[in-house]
Amino acid sequence: MNIVFVLVPLGLVLIAAAVWALFWAVNNGQFDEVDSGADAPFRDDADPAAAEDGSSKPRDSR
Amino acid sequence: MNTARATTAGHVEWLDAERQLSHAIFIAAGMRCAACAGSIEKAVAALPGVDNVTVNVATHRVNVQFDASRTRLERILAAVDQAGFRALPLAGGAAVAAQRDEKRAAIKRLGVAGLGMMQIMMFTFGLYAAGPNGIATNYEHYFKLIAMLITLPVLFYAGAPILRSAWQNLKMRSLGMDVPVSLALLLAFTASVYNTLRGTGEVYFDSVAMFVFFLLAGRFVEMNARHASLSASDALTQSLPETVARLTAAGATERVPVADIRPGDRLSIPKGAVIPVDATLLSASASIDQSLLSGESVAVNKTAGSELPGGAVNAGGVIQVAALSAIDASVLATIVRLLERAQRDRPPIARAADRVAGWFVLGILLLAVIVAGGWLLVDPSRAFSAVLAVLVVTCPCALSLATPVAMAAATTRLARDGVLVARADAIERLASIDLIVFDKTGTLTQGASAAVRVTDTHRVTADAALAIGAALERGSTHPIAQALLRHADAAVVATDIVETAGLGIEGVVAGCRYRLGRSEFVAALTATQRPGEQQPDYSSASIVLGDSDGWVAAFELTDPVRPAAAAAIAELRNSGLELAIASGDRPAAVQAVAQQLGITAAHGQLSPEQKIATVQTMRAGGRRVLMLGDGINDGPVLAAADVSCAMGQGSSIAQAAADLILVDDSLQGVGRAIKTARRARQVLRQNLTWALLYNVAAIPAAALGYVPPWLAAIGMSLSSLFVVLNAQRLTRR
Repeated sequence: MNIVFVLVPLGLVLIAAAVWALFWAVNNGQFDEVDSGADAPFRDDADPAAAEDGSSKPRDSR
Repeated sequence: MNTARATTAGHVEWLDAERQLSHAIFIAAGMRCAACAGSIEKAVAALPGVDNVTVNVATHRVNVQFDASRTRLERILAAVDQAGFRALPLAGGAAVAAQRDEKRAAIKRLGVAGLGMMQIMMFTFGLYAAGPNGIATNYEHYFKLIAMLITLPVLFYAGAPILRSAWQNLKMRSLGMDVPVSLALLLAFTASVYNTLRGTGEVYFDSVAMFVFFLLAGRFVEMNARHASLSASDALTQSLPETVARLTAAGATERVPVADIRPGDRLSIPKGAVIPVDATLLSASASIDQSLLSGESVAVNKTAGSELPGGAVNAGGVIQVAALSAIDASVLATIVRLLERAQRDRPPIARAADRVAGWFVLGILLLAVIVAGGWLLVDPSRAFSAVLAVLVVTCPCALSLATPVAMAAATTRLARDGVLVARADAIERLASIDLIVFDKTGTLTQGASAAVRVTDTHRVTADAALAIGAALERGSTHPIAQALLRHADAAVVATDIVETAGLGIEGVVAGCRYRLGRSEFVAALTATQRPGEQQPDYSSASIVLGDSDGWVAAFELTDPVRPAAAAAIAELRNSGLELAIASGDRPAAVQAVAQQLGITAAHGQLSPEQKIATVQTMRAGGRRVLMLGDGINDGPVLAAADVSCAMGQGSSIAQAAADLILVDDSLQGVGRAIKTARRARQVLRQNLTWALLYNVAAIPAAALGYVPPWLAAIGMSLSSLFVVLNAQRLTRR
């Protein structure tokens, strides 16, 4: 059972990582606008021709 | 953090210091669906240097991050234009950023509280599940230490707003609901830390974390409701540009802040820009979109001399206009001020709830002391847990949330139905209305679109008479003035204008003093009766123009009933409301409109004072009166009614006095508003009853020690959540 003394702090490190990931996502605007994600399937995909010639720009990160 | 600055175009743009990227937010008008959002994203993302673009279909907001050294904002706006949308400036960018930051901080706190709560539960579950013999002391001690460690950020980071607000309450010597909550949190935490360190006794880390999490969850929902009700009026309040192109006398263009616009200034309005103040069109023709003001997205064609309301958008080519007012007197500024006032006002019932909450909190604290005393006599070991349960379970959170969330939801719903709430307590009063009094001109009839006809002239041509009339009416927003203003001639200017409400206007044109208005008013100047006055047609009103030498001309205005009025009136009558007309117009004209709409009580030829007296008599008879009006005459009578409602296209005096404003001028909005107000009252009663019942039922159980602190935390939170979700029903159809 002494393994608990190692695993629990390890778990805390994972939690810290999860909190860090959440903060990163919030700071990058992932939660600023959650309404239009549901519309995504109805949007046109980026122009395939543009994708081929490599000039396409990064679209929104949602 | 980021410093916002306004660009010359008025679009908000700021520099993201970390990533060296510029950031801009603007509104793309004309967006109707997800596909539109997609085509804007595509058009903007195709530009060089654009890092990220997001389009919100619901709020029409476009959010762009770009490298300013590679793309200028103007280029992005042009791309949006080319994609077929109008990029509108967003002047309140600082408010937008503040709202966004508030939401981000709330999500972070909620996340920390949630993750922390789950971890702590895991460890305390080990303690609870251990059975009668407990677990090995070294593990127990270890688990408690870990739980304490995790509680620290949950309480002091996630719970910081609660603790801070309680501290501020105490500094102000008032008792808010955060005081007992913070007391419970700090008591439980301190006792748990003490027990953990000495190695014996109960710990409440799980209850602390759970309480913080559920409190934050309730506040998160409330914050979202608040933000939603603000964004309903977003497009309007934030559409003012910050600078405008003014033409100097020499014909050159200079950029000046909108605050510096003076009446008479000549302004150049580019395509897609908002006309910042009420103005007269100087260019030959223009196409304007009043959707920001009226919600109706149809381009209207205007010809030279017509009046353009501030807040309308120039949908056609570049136009030149002459400002009629300064920025703080424009239609848009008035509406913005009204909205701001409504958002500041707290309804009386909410103020009462705040006062009650203060006493309630004091009562809770006393009760906690009594419970502590009682348990110390009976069973000291259970005293602490019972006091905690009482403090947590009695949190009047649901009670203080009940009114604000219901009012926020009702306001949102009304804004969606085209009714602006200018005074927050109007919703409550609107629910008990049983009699509606209408003004006729401009309310039941079209007013502003009335046609004017010269029926009789004396010594001048018809055109000259119209030009004099228009010059006199220039500053007036009365419906008759609107009709006359279409005939304005820039060369004819009136000075010394004095308007007498309900009678007419006096002024000097080309050195000659004129009066325009009702015949008895003009007769006082001409000192002669107008010969041969013929009885005009019922749907028209006649006014006369005269100078000190006698009669000059007579005008006749045809003012048809609004197209949708009959249906709206019938709907109101069917919902059990009594209807009446109180008008300053001739009895025959009033009767005709009343018959057409099936309204039996019609009062004509009322002076503004008589209108007020009529409304006061009705109120003295026990009726709850809703008054609808739009003209300059209607300001005082609107203020005399229980609830007042002004037409969105009416005068700003009427709007300033009104509790509600019908933005799209549709009378159907009245019926919808009353229905929503009645539902809001019902929801509010349910909420208050629920909150009181919950507290009354839970307090004895907690005081007698039947409720462990963690259960108290869940109960309190569910009660708040119930109140919030119940109010949200109002926003749905």
